[in-house]
Amino acid sequence: MTWKEGEEDRKESLRRIKESLAQIRLDASRSWKVFRRSILAVSGLAMVVSVSLISFFADDIAVEHPSRDLQDTRDTWTNDYEPKRAEPFSEECDWHKQSISLTTLRRWDYNWTEALSHEKVNPFDRTLYRETLDVIELISLEDRLGYPIPLDLVSVDEDNDSLIWISDELMENTSYTTVKLTYVFDNQEMHHWWLPDGYDVCIFGTNNEGQDLFSKVLYGSRVSLKIGFTVASLTVVIGTVVGSISGYYGGRVDEVVMRITDVFFAVPGLILAMAFVAALEAVERFIMPLWLAVLIPVAFLSIATRSVVSDSILPSSGLKPKDTLQSLYSILKNPAFVAFLVIFVTLAGPWKGLFIVTDSWIWRVFASVFAIMMVAALVVADRAMVDRASFDGFRQRTREVFDWKNPYRYLTLRTLAVFIAAVIIHRWSGDTDGEITVIRDFDRLWKIQVALVFTGWPGYARLIRGQVLYVKEMAFVEAARSVGAPSGRIMFRHILPNAWAPLLVAFTLDIGGTILSASGLSFIGLGAEPFAAEWGRLVSDGRTYFPQDWWLILFPGLAIAFTTLGFNLLGDGIRDVVDPKNRR
Amino acid sequence: MKTHEFIVRRILLLVPVMVMVTVFTFVISQIIPADPAAILCGERCGLVDPKTGKTLLELQRERLGLNKPVTEQFWIYLSNLMEGDWGESTAYHRPTSEVVRDAAPITLEMSFFALLIGYPIGISLGILSAVWQDSVFDHISRFMAIAFVSLPIFWLAMMLQLLFSTGPDVGGICDPIFGTEGGCLPIYGRHDVALTFPDYTSLTCTQISCYPWYYPSGGTGFHLVDSWFVTDQALSTLHPEYSTNGALFNDSLTHLILPSFTLGIASAGSLLRYMRASLLEVLNEDYVRTARAKGVSERRVVLIHACRNALVPILTILGFSIGGAIGGAVLTESIFSFNGMGRVAVQAITVLDFSVIMGVTLITAVIFLLANLIVDIMYAVIDPRVRLE
Repeated sequence: MTWKEGEEDRKESLRRIKESLAQIRLDASRSWKVFRRSILAVSGLAMVVSVSLISFFADDIAVEHPSRDLQDTRDTWTNDYEPKRAEPFSEECDWHKQSISLTTLRRWDYNWTEALSHEKVNPFDRTLYRETLDVIELISLEDRLGYPIPLDLVSVDEDNDSLIWISDELMENTSYTTVKLTYVFDNQEMHHWWLPDGYDVCIFGTNNEGQDLFSKVLYGSRVSLKIGFTVASLTVVIGTVVGSISGYYGGRVDEVVMRITDVFFAVPGLILAMAFVAALEAVERFIMPLWLAVLIPVAFLSIATRSVVSDSILPSSGLKPKDTLQSLYSILKNPAFVAFLVIFVTLAGPWKGLFIVTDSWIWRVFASVFAIMMVAALVVADRAMVDRASFDGFRQRTREVFDWKNPYRYLTLRTLAVFIAAVIIHRWSGDTDGEITVIRDFDRLWKIQVALVFTGWPGYARLIRGQVLYVKEMAFVEAARSVGAPSGRIMFRHILPNAWAPLLVAFTLDIGGTILSASGLSFIGLGAEPFAAEWGRLVSDGRTYFPQDWWLILFPGLAIAFTTLGFNLLGDGIRDVVDPKNRR
Repeated sequence: MKTHEFIVRRILLLVPVMVMVTVFTFVISQIIPADPAAILCGERCGLVDPKTGKTLLELQRERLGLNKPVTEQFWIYLSNLMEGDWGESTAYHRPTSEVVRDAAPITLEMSFFALLIGYPIGISLGILSAVWQDSVFDHISRFMAIAFVSLPIFWLAMMLQLLFSTGPDVGGICDPIFGTEGGCLPIYGRHDVALTFPDYTSLTCTQISCYPWYYPSGGTGFHLVDSWFVTDQALSTLHPEYSTNGALFNDSLTHLILPSFTLGIASAGSLLRYMRASLLEVLNEDYVRTARAKGVSERRVVLIHACRNALVPILTILGFSIGGAIGGAVLTESIFSFNGMGRVAVQAITVLDFSVIMGVTLITAVIFLLANLIVDIMYAVIDPRVRLE
């Protein structure tokens, strides 16, 4: 059967695709109805959404920057909160009564100073800034040793409440090199509308550095969500690839993979992750050899063009590109191609050794255009092939290596050709043993993420393997195989789309689990640095003051529990929708 | 397949996994960036031995076999493992096997008690949840099951410490409710501090490294068991409050309650869900309907007919929850300052004491695999269908 003869088939399959799209829309609305029924699931969704919103708007909600340093030793006026560790909603947190001490560490040069707030972070350009404060009442003036100095040596300006004049007597007295001024200020500016009346920074209390715990917990959500999503997505990808290979091919491959996962299951995840973090101790930068950096975009490019071509020629797809422009458009819609472009553009800078060009935007545009042209040329070549493609005697010819009339074989050979071309260009460029830095600052947070990915993939591999074994026996897989579809296509186009439901559930549950284990690793001192805004680290920092300063433990822990609970409830709700027989 | 054939096959399947685990620990030891020889000789590494003309560093490397090729090192490592030589801890300056042997019983004791607390809670709530399906109780217990799994263990442990805390400032809930003074449950340590620092003059252990580990041992390492086998002579050296075996036992038991409860809560959560699902499945079976039709009372149907069958799959989870409990012990032990495997592992990793890291990884794997082996054998005995696969 040639392309022209398959016209009817394609029309039929186009109709089927439309039908199935409508079915998906119907299913989605039905699923939402099922999901909506469960209070737990909806509240889980609400919790996840609220944590995501909080992490997104942390700059706006937070009272101060989480890493604000109070011990500022620069030659400027600085201020700090007098109460170091304040209980939540304690007297010290009442902004009407809060005392701010104003300290100089060196003798000043001017006879005036401004009352400035602590450092805040600007959400737009992420710079630190201070606001001026309106002084209501001066409380005390002390010298460096804490002995009182007459308060009338300083005065507040009559017109400007934030301007403080220093009398000549104090300026000229060389025995005072450092003074400390305590005053009450009108805190209305710093007071957020959502805080209870009268209280400013202290709804969660402050730590021993006087830093606001509430802001730290808010910013901690960013770290935790980032770790959760990164680790869960990477584990899903690795686990899916390994599990589907193991399940699809079976036999010896399966046996080896399963024995490896046995080892991972035999050692508790936390101990394994700890050992792995220790093993990564010496790694400071995450480097990728240049040949791998070349291989990844090329692989994406091949996959992109491959699926575009398969879409246009396979009898099952029914989408025939009418002209070159339309085929170009269909390429741009392809996710694999978009991924290729992203990788290509982001890595274009480090590729200097490959193409010997400067790291400029012109080069990146040029690179993108070059890639598009390359794909266009390939598509034109493909179209020429498509017209000659034949499906006659397909089954018999699948084993032949060089079969130009077999579109799959053609595509495989072409991918190989593209890769070889890339390698040749790479050799010509002269920089064969170069490397590019993927993660410049490979800190402890990165290490625990890598460790968690390393310990997490076997779970997914087993899950996907089971699903693949189940789906593999179904009739449509048999049909695809009998048409001569290659294993890769059967796996990713036929089997995996039918195994996504438990994967989605496991993914959601895994985000929660990852947040738990990451905070556990941080807690035992392997994750974030001391005083970082990370929930596990906050609990660990608070342990020094434990039973007395209970709030340092309670609130970060509640944040972990809340987020994990949200993801777990959400995952459970999704399970009810996609797998109703498990629910009962 | 006969039962004994199944058992033999199951044991043979363990061998490749065990070999893989040793390969695994060996690879980890190879990539850990610490040179054990340099740690052992410390500042004297540069000194030259007059007899051989080599530096102390080179001599240490030779002694540890680090100058041999990697494959040979692996074979030496394997054969040493077989002979019980697990290497030497650079942090404790003791053989690793001794460090692990001292630590493992403490973790095992705690995990055992955790399962002892978690299982009844999980199973009973699971049964009630399945019987009263879709009731308010069911919803609440399902929520609790998810919540138990979501709570960070280290946080839960510290909150329990706060509730039962003995500090003068906080007091906890014990003092107002039970009228005790200074809390009703100990929140730190495996045993009372008075037992850690006994009468120095009559101490049999002369090394300073013994002190933190000192406990009147009965030989097994399990404190609950040991407390009954401490000789009267050893008891006389202890604090007068602990002059009887019963008092020692009481002390170890009360120190176990909070850590075990912390660990048990997490396993109870997952168990509740499995038990509920399993029982619901069984309740739909034909023989349950038959039993009901015969007029057997509902209580008897659920507890005798259904539960016996629903509990069979739960056995598999038992094997896995032992692994989970040991993993959770890492955090619990750090908080309750138990000198178990978890705490030893954390300390070993902070100072990169690689032989202890390997030892702990290996021993946890062995414990997990043995537990699963026993569970599988029990499974095969209880449920003959398993053997036929």
